[in-house]
Amino acid sequence: MKRRNNVFKLLLSGPYLIWMAIFVLVPMGMVLYFALTDPDTGRFTLDNLMGIEEFLPVFGESVWLAAVSALLCIVIAYPVAYVIAKAAPSRQRVLILLVMLPMCMSFLLRTLAWVALLEDTGILNRLLGSLGIGPLKLIRTRGAVILGMVYNYLPYMIMPLYSVLTKLDRRLIEAAEDLGCSGTQVFFKVILPLSAPGIISGTTMVFVPAVSTFYISKKLGSSGTALIGDLIESQFKQSYNPNLGAAMSLVLMVMIFICMGIMNRFAGQDEVSRI
Amino acid sequence: MKRFNRIFTVAVFIFLYAPILLLVAASFSSGTSLSNFEGFTLSRYSELFSDKNMLGLLLNSLIVALISSVVASVFGTVSCFGIRRLGRRAQKTVMTVTNIPMTNPEIVTGISLALLFVFIGQMLKLKDVMGFWTLLIAHITFNLPYVILSVMPKLNQLDRHVGEAALDLGCTPIKAFFKVTLPEILPGIISGGLMAFTMSLDDFVISYFVYGPAFTTLPVEIYTYTKKPLPPKLYALFTVLFLAILLVMIVMNIVQARDDNRSRRNKNAKGEITLTRI
Amino acid sequence: MEKELIRLADIAMQFDGEEVLRSINLTVRDKEFVTLLGPSGCGKTTTLRIIGGFETPTSGEVYFDGECITNLPPYKRKVNTIFQRYALFPHLNVFENVAFGLRIQKLPEEEIRSRVLEMLALVNLKGYERRSTDALSGGQQQRVAIARALVCRPRLLLLDEPLGALDLRLRKDMQAELKRIQQQLGITFVYVTHDQEEALAMSDTVVVMDKGRIQQIGTPEDIYNEPQNAFVADFIGESNIIDGIMHEDRLVEFCGRKFACLDGGFEKRENVDVVIRPEDIDIIPYQNGHIKGTVTSVTFKGVHYEFIIDVDGFKWMVQSTDYRELGSEVAFIIEPDAIHIMKKSEYSGMFGDYSTYSEAYDRDIREFDGEEPQEEKQYEAEE
Repeated sequence: MKRRNNVFKLLLSGPYLIWMAIFVLVPMGMVLYFALTDPDTGRFTLDNLMGIEEFLPVFGESVWLAAVSALLCIVIAYPVAYVIAKAAPSRQRVLILLVMLPMCMSFLLRTLAWVALLEDTGILNRLLGSLGIGPLKLIRTRGAVILGMVYNYLPYMIMPLYSVLTKLDRRLIEAAEDLGCSGTQVFFKVILPLSAPGIISGTTMVFVPAVSTFYISKKLGSSGTALIGDLIESQFKQSYNPNLGAAMSLVLMVMIFICMGIMNRFAGQDEVSRI
Repeated sequence: MKRFNRIFTVAVFIFLYAPILLLVAASFSSGTSLSNFEGFTLSRYSELFSDKNMLGLLLNSLIVALISSVVASVFGTVSCFGIRRLGRRAQKTVMTVTNIPMTNPEIVTGISLALLFVFIGQMLKLKDVMGFWTLLIAHITFNLPYVILSVMPKLNQLDRHVGEAALDLGCTPIKAFFKVTLPEILPGIISGGLMAFTMSLDDFVISYFVYGPAFTTLPVEIYTYTKKPLPPKLYALFTVLFLAILLVMIVMNIVQARDDNRSRRNKNAKGEITLTRI
Repeated sequence: MEKELIRLADIAMQFDGEEVLRSINLTVRDKEFVTLLGPSGCGKTTTLRIIGGFETPTSGEVYFDGECITNLPPYKRKVNTIFQRYALFPHLNVFENVAFGLRIQKLPEEEIRSRVLEMLALVNLKGYERRSTDALSGGQQQRVAIARALVCRPRLLLLDEPLGALDLRLRKDMQAELKRIQQQLGITFVYVTHDQEEALAMSDTVVVMDKGRIQQIGTPEDIYNEPQNAFVADFIGESNIIDGIMHEDRLVEFCGRKFACLDGGFEKRENVDVVIRPEDIDIIPYQNGHIKGTVTSVTFKGVHYEFIIDVDGFKWMVQSTDYRELGSEVAFIIEPDAIHIMKKSEYSGMFGDYSTYSEAYDRDIREFDGEEPQEEKQYEAEE
């Protein structure tokens, strides 16, 4: 009986374990391996990691743009999530569907639509022109890249914020009011701290794809705003140097890991201080 | 403040939908560029439906998305049962690994799989390792977590006595699974599977690193198109897909709404029980 | 006397090397109402699950109607179960829940219909056929669970704390109703509970369990009047349990005095546990008493007062309809028929002194101590 159970258990979970090992863990191992070996001799080397040094400004730029985008996303998403969470249940469903819908539509074409909107002779500039303003330099700027990031990843911030805000216990707000908090005080002393988990998960969901994107910067940015993603992509698609590309990916992963660690630490402390 | 929030929300929705509306409008324009509207036409749609090449690419995308999401749904659901039978420690480890494709940047997932496939190709002395199978494997790999993460909570909610009650009333274990357990977790499987399907259909970053010349999906083709001016029939295709996905999401929404209502009622009933217990 | 229906022969059960049941021998006769009673973690639910086929014992056999069914899976047993918290199928309505077992048997639609309706009428749920199970109250869900199990016409019904989730008043009503259904249908019930009042009120036979072993089997009267050890005496009702010495048959010494009693069959000068129920003690004027002490606590219980009386450091519980003031000196006498003598057991000295007595604490410990962990352990092991 016991043995049959064990066989059954392995039969159910075994294939998954093997699949994830081969197609998730082994590839990660390969990234590590390539990052630490010489492309020609195949020997262990730190040259690839050292070689990243000249690209450090790009890493800095990527992190900076992604961080600004994440922050903007929080500021923009919060009121939206709040309004949705307060709406009548049937309306909430429709609004959430509207938030999710763009996430499923071709990200490439939507970004191209922004190109058409922001171009020097694009729709916005023509509109502004008819008002006597412009033409403004909109595209191929950092601002355009940030706009692209905010546009593409905003729903990933709205969703987790919405889900914490709907779970917020109304009685807590009432208790705060009962204890003498004004409307703004209630917001900053109760609602905002309680939505910290949503802010944190939303920030990771925006930051991670934003910091590693290579399409948005290519279309909306200038040659000066190449990001980590562009570098990694070109190591694999143009100048074929997977070792350098793997090294960059490794650094990117470690960077993200550290960022998430710091944020989780904050979240953890927050939890403790709340108790 | 309230009014400001509402107006702001409307503005955000306009921001989210402006490019989509632009693309939809472009599908009816006889101009060739996105930013120039000339007369109204439906010829983009007839061009689209007579373009075997484009439809072929769409078919490729659909095939990969469909097979990978169905495989991931079945495989993922079965695996959930297996994972739950593991020890607590092992379970935690498996879930951490499951989360890797979700939290890793897509580009890293893409290149890591590419490195693996190239390596396997060299080992097996295959000339063109990249193609349908590598795409399918990659898509199944990133679809699995969606299914697992939406089925697992359903399984955890399941009252284990319910399965036993079915056995007690004369079901064999297999019958009990299909008559009782499966209907209970089905909403989780469906929403996980649909999510996987849409993600897979639209995936570009991962596909871009593991596709081969023999088998390309639509998003990858669009990316490589971008060097030339885009053929306007793409906008027509976008509009069609937009409507299709809208439909899928409405279905998903209804499934979830039903499920939510039920679990809410369940929760109420349970609340009553705990109250009486105290 | 009806013939034997279920027999457990020397059942032992271990989960991960931990002993959950040891040498369980139990016979249940046809049409009998047997209750497995004990604190959480005593093994009563495991015993029930072994009868239901959800667990296979580590050793020992289960006989049903003289036939060994130890390794028979649950779906092949002519036994049905009412689960803790009902385990109704959430995706089916009331009618389909009750019809479930009959559909599995592939009975004709007409028969299913008539049997389900008949059963719903029996449990007073006429007109609820189309309701969703989530829309029912706890008591109604309970009735659906009963109907679902009984519609299969089992020879034996297993009930695992079926009333545990109901409030007190509903519980009393359902006790009466279950008893009525059992007598009306003539089905054997094996009933698990930790509520001693419930056990005494409903059962033909009570099986008191603790630490994975059967402590005593008997009628409710036997269990109450003739407890076999300090555990049973304490678990069923209230008891004062005092160390005593048996001088000869019908003569016992405790509290420094010799008392006449009705028990015998002990060795000369054997150390024994003496049980005296609080309601069997008579408070009398101080000067005439056998035993003298001070009232340290008075609680009004409606029918009577409950006094804790300190007699040279040993706290007695005494129930009486006459009021005594806190701090007053009282005496009491104990008649021979109020004294019950037990052999010493591993439980001697653990119960029966009300020095640290707190009613609420006592109840909490009994009902909730270790319940969840124990359950979890069982499930894990089973998986």
